[in-house]
Amino acid sequence: MQPPWREGHKFCCMKHHLLILFGLLAWTLGTAQNAVTRGKELFGDLKARHIGPALMSGRVTDLELHPTNPKVLYAGTAGGGVWKSSDGGARFNPIFDDYCQSIGAVAIDPGQPDKVIWVGTGETWTRNSVSIGNGIYKSVDGGINWIKMGLEKSERIAGIAINPKNSNEIFVAVLGGLWSDSADRGVYKTSDGGKTWEKILYVDAKTGCADLAMDPANPAVLYASFWEFRRTPWSFSSGGNNSALYKTTDGGKTWNKIHNGFPGGKLGRMGIAIAPSNPNILYTVLETEKDQDRGLYRSDDAGASWKQLNKDFGIVVRPFYFSRINVDPRNPDVVVKCGLTGSISRDGGKTFRDLGPMHSDIHDIVFAINDSERIFAATDGGIYRSWDGGTTMEIVENLPVSQFYHISVDNEEPYNVYGGLQDNGSWFGPSSSPGGIEARDWHSVGAGDGFRVLPHPGKYLVYSEMQGAENVWLTDVAKNQVRTIQPLAAPGDPKLRWNWNAPMATSVHQPDRFYMGSQFLHKSEDMGNTWTKISPDLTTNDPAKTNAAESGGLSRDNSGAENHCTIFTIAESPLAENIIWVGTDDGNLQLTQDAGKTWKNVAPKVAEMPAGTWVYHVEPSRFAKGTAYVVFDGHAQGDFNPYVFRTTDFGATWTSIITPDIEGFARNIQEDLQNPNLLFLGTEFGLYITTNGGKTWSKFTNNMPAVAVHFIDIQPKTNDLVMGTHGRGVIIIDNISILRQITDEVLNKELHFFQTGPATLFDENSFGGTSGETQFVGANPSRAARIIYYLKKRHTLGKFTMEIQDANGKTVAELTPGKSKGINIVEWGFTTKAPKVAKGQTLSFDAFTTPRATAGKYKIVGQKGNESFAIDLEVRNDPRSELTAAQRSQKEATQQKLFDMTQGLAYLVYELDEIVKTAQQVEAKNPKLAKMVAPVISDFTKLKETLVITKGDNYVGAGEPQLREKMAKIYAGFASSFFAPTANEMANFQYVESAYTQAQRDFTALKNLHLPKLTGWLNKNQLPALSIQPFDVFLKQP
Amino acid sequence: MKAIKLLFFLVLAAGSALAQVTTAEEVVKKYLEATGGAKWNTLEGVKMEAKVSQGGMEIPIEIVQLKDGRTYTSITFQGTKIMQNVFDGNVLWGTNFMTMKAEKSDAEATGMFKTDLGDFPSPFVDYAAKGYKIELMGTESIDGTNTYKVKLIRKPYTIEGKEVENVNFYYFDADSFIPILLETEIKTGQGKGMISQTTMSDYQEVEGLYFPFSMGQGVKGGGSQPLTITKVELNPKVATEAFTLPADK
Repeated sequence: MQPPWREGHKFCCMKHHLLILFGLLAWTLGTAQNAVTRGKELFGDLKARHIGPALMSGRVTDLELHPTNPKVLYAGTAGGGVWKSSDGGARFNPIFDDYCQSIGAVAIDPGQPDKVIWVGTGETWTRNSVSIGNGIYKSVDGGINWIKMGLEKSERIAGIAINPKNSNEIFVAVLGGLWSDSADRGVYKTSDGGKTWEKILYVDAKTGCADLAMDPANPAVLYASFWEFRRTPWSFSSGGNNSALYKTTDGGKTWNKIHNGFPGGKLGRMGIAIAPSNPNILYTVLETEKDQDRGLYRSDDAGASWKQLNKDFGIVVRPFYFSRINVDPRNPDVVVKCGLTGSISRDGGKTFRDLGPMHSDIHDIVFAINDSERIFAATDGGIYRSWDGGTTMEIVENLPVSQFYHISVDNEEPYNVYGGLQDNGSWFGPSSSPGGIEARDWHSVGAGDGFRVLPHPGKYLVYSEMQGAENVWLTDVAKNQVRTIQPLAAPGDPKLRWNWNAPMATSVHQPDRFYMGSQFLHKSEDMGNTWTKISPDLTTNDPAKTNAAESGGLSRDNSGAENHCTIFTIAESPLAENIIWVGTDDGNLQLTQDAGKTWKNVAPKVAEMPAGTWVYHVEPSRFAKGTAYVVFDGHAQGDFNPYVFRTTDFGATWTSIITPDIEGFARNIQEDLQNPNLLFLGTEFGLYITTNGGKTWSKFTNNMPAVAVHFIDIQPKTNDLVMGTHGRGVIIIDNISILRQITDEVLNKELHFFQTGPATLFDENSFGGTSGETQFVGANPSRAARIIYYLKKRHTLGKFTMEIQDANGKTVAELTPGKSKGINIVEWGFTTKAPKVAKGQTLSFDAFTTPRATAGKYKIVGQKGNESFAIDLEVRNDPRSELTAAQRSQKEATQQKLFDMTQGLAYLVYELDEIVKTAQQVEAKNPKLAKMVAPVISDFTKLKETLVITKGDNYVGAGEPQLREKMAKIYAGFASSFFAPTANEMANFQYVESAYTQAQRDFTALKNLHLPKLTGWLNKNQLPALSIQPFDVFLKQP
Repeated sequence: MKAIKLLFFLVLAAGSALAQVTTAEEVVKKYLEATGGAKWNTLEGVKMEAKVSQGGMEIPIEIVQLKDGRTYTSITFQGTKIMQNVFDGNVLWGTNFMTMKAEKSDAEATGMFKTDLGDFPSPFVDYAAKGYKIELMGTESIDGTNTYKVKLIRKPYTIEGKEVENVNFYYFDADSFIPILLETEIKTGQGKGMISQTTMSDYQEVEGLYFPFSMGQGVKGGGSQPLTITKVELNPKVATEAFTLPADK
């Protein structure tokens, strides 16, 4: 936008001048105000932390190997972005966090493999829960920075082929829309490195390019498979008359079908692979009308003719989910086919055997560039690597791309997070754990695909389920007992229809109450033992949408994923147990205010809300009975707009709270527990927050990838915002209570301190975790005191300091203030200054222990440029502490004595060293005195040898511990203990104290004996007098 | 009237951001001008006194960098100095914490260090003459403030036996042209593949040159270790022995 004064305003008179000036000022302030309320600029230091888990990982869609460097590989994932390994696949790092996390294809430019990487977004393994893409991206620096290069409407990109001789020439396979017609499908070509694209092969709006292969020896030769397919919320169809395999030999100008040897009729999804060592050998897998025609076909004449070789289960299984084939780069007869287990042939495709045990559902298999024994596989449960040609597979352990459908939290300390994962069961794990949250911290509470997992509100019991509520479990975690509790059909019941992701709910009013939704709402008051239907069929019960058993197209695919006309969300009002909201996948939003006696469909009837749109989530308000938020999701009908409405009158009227700030369709909204204007919205591209009830929304991007947020909860004790993401595991923003205090007034202040309440000295320590460096470890929350303030502008020029003062104004710690515009969080781990320690030959590691601050009142005192400020901070003891006041005071007093003794000893040793140094100067100046000086030096040196270690190193060459080491040991014991001093410790303290007193006496005696002589020698030899710095000056020295 | 002038200034300042600059050359030129100009070329060395706070311990650090590439960092623990990242013009060495004796750095680390010789006082001073390339990547919001992102390409390193690009990304505050963040992909060691971040603030003048007196070092997505500079001395006199690899005793 051009500021108005750049448009040639001329000031003609003072009055006019002032008017314009004030106009400009208003404009500037307006701009500034808008600027500060947005995203990063508001959230500042408020950062998300990722806790994984990674032990089961998540769906990986595409693997890509660097063509010359065997250490480098890339992985595209279903919902967790792109990851790069630079160590041969031992560890991976995310490199695509700011962009769409659903990845179809990754490609490395063979001409510039260290630099140019392409990412096509939008997964192409088109299961019911698949996400969407938003175009193609390019990096020219090995994945550090990314530029979007168009194809925004492609929805899903199946392949990218780059001319090895011309980096500007790239072919892209656009599979296109899954739930709608699209004219954007087809093969695209750029000749200018992605600046412009030309669609060079298009079939129709239903048929997209599912695979693309370029002849490595002749880049003008390409093969493209086209696939007719469509999904609706209640069906899937693979195959049609327009599915075909095409070939071009002129760089895409002309394409011909190459079906010689294929059966007639409709075809489904086909993979295509060229043997790199002999480009005349091709492999494809056909999905056909007749079972006997399916399977692996091979051509030995570059596609001129084909021969069917194999139709084993592993080859023909679920073509829409597994169609990829790859060939060993060194041997044209070694072929791998993705599938339920993954298959490998060593006889040119005639016979196959399964790859070794790993997570099922294999989407890509690649051979390392220099060694065919090294194989990597992309599965629904992460990346596996093999060192023996695929017989033994081991999982990559630092890939937290788990796909949660739902999460919940309990009220334990630390609280646990519960959730279910795509093809990876149901789990719970702690929000904090010694050394970080590791694989071993997670507990399995369900098999199959996992969805909703809810803790019993009062007992150590967990509800969980598998797809379509085939099983709903109640696990007694303490006893290791699982029982199955799902509502079963009773006489007179129709078939119960359960969503793939069937809803369940507990109640804040009745701890043993448990709800489940089929087409009916089922209620149990005894944790699932006894069930009552408390509704009629709440769905549209449309016969056209309840034929999931016929789903699949050419290959029957009745997994339950297409069950429709089902209840999807259930929410009992936290304010009144008779108020229950139910949302269905076919667009009904049902409300009862009498616990199910009567129901009313109150779906918003506004023009922008298409009828029949999936009701994804209802959030009844905590603040008013008639208020609720509802999230509709139309993506499975090809509508990617977000829909969120609020009612304040039990659904009679609805207001949209969506603004153009929001990108991506929404699935979940969470109302804050205290501030009704603070709302959190999960969309397909990340988290959005409003602090003004939905008038404006800001995207939260601090360590928060653009990942699909499927469910959000707030833990009431910690005020942590906990997100279940579908691709990056559980992500937490610790303590969002600060956001409750955001107002326009705050945002217009130069510096504003937020109320944080008292800080707690948690009595916790541990030896940490057990994970190795190749394993993911989730971040713990900070236990430090947090000083939180808002800065209107980043501090860059001039000094900005901050310190903590105790009640007497004494500085106990210096802090480094945050400098960002927006929210700054400065942490103080309650550490105060460490004692100054006697200098020895070695370091005393115990003496590095810093005393922890004690409970009481403190002040944060700061100086920012010329501005000074002071804020109070209260520190309180851990409420769990068992120390009595008398014990605490004894502990603190003893610890302080040891601290003072440590510094006293340091000063004594310093003084002693100065005396010895001075005596040595006398000796040097007047060698005749050597004999007389020698006993002085020797007496002091002997004393020193009992005070500090004077020989050896910091490892096993260390000398015997002396007074410093003994003193430091008991000092560190006190400083790091949460317990009352024991008799053992007090006796040792007395032992050290008396040794110290004796050392002081001995030192004084030696000084009395020797210093008069030394002073005399110094005088006589015109040497400067012995100079000892005062204690306080000594303490300040490095 | 004074108030009106100030308002006018504020209005102009608010509107000027991001309006003018289109090339990396301009950003770098303005940065050098804003922080000392030609005086950077006459600087022979700096000595910085700094402290790192770690778990309540304040660790004093002294950093010396000379124009000829000689440098040392001395860290004082319990009155004992430990030397790190010391370069005497030929050998890169540091004190081993166990034996407290000097040890040479490995050949690749030394090679990488030598690759960047001549960078003092800033790689941007006479960058073209050094054969470095710069590129304006665009603008980005860092710490809530608008910045220009500049890619700096220096001479390639050899890491794990392979030649790799030597690239840094600097983020210059769009108002003041002062760098507030440096990002570099970690190419070796445990953090390999992660992005290291150095934040810079509290710029203060020392005899006509501006230095950041507060820095933070960390990796993207992780925490940051603060370093506070307490004193900067220009053109210090440092004995040659301070850089020399000590003979084993």
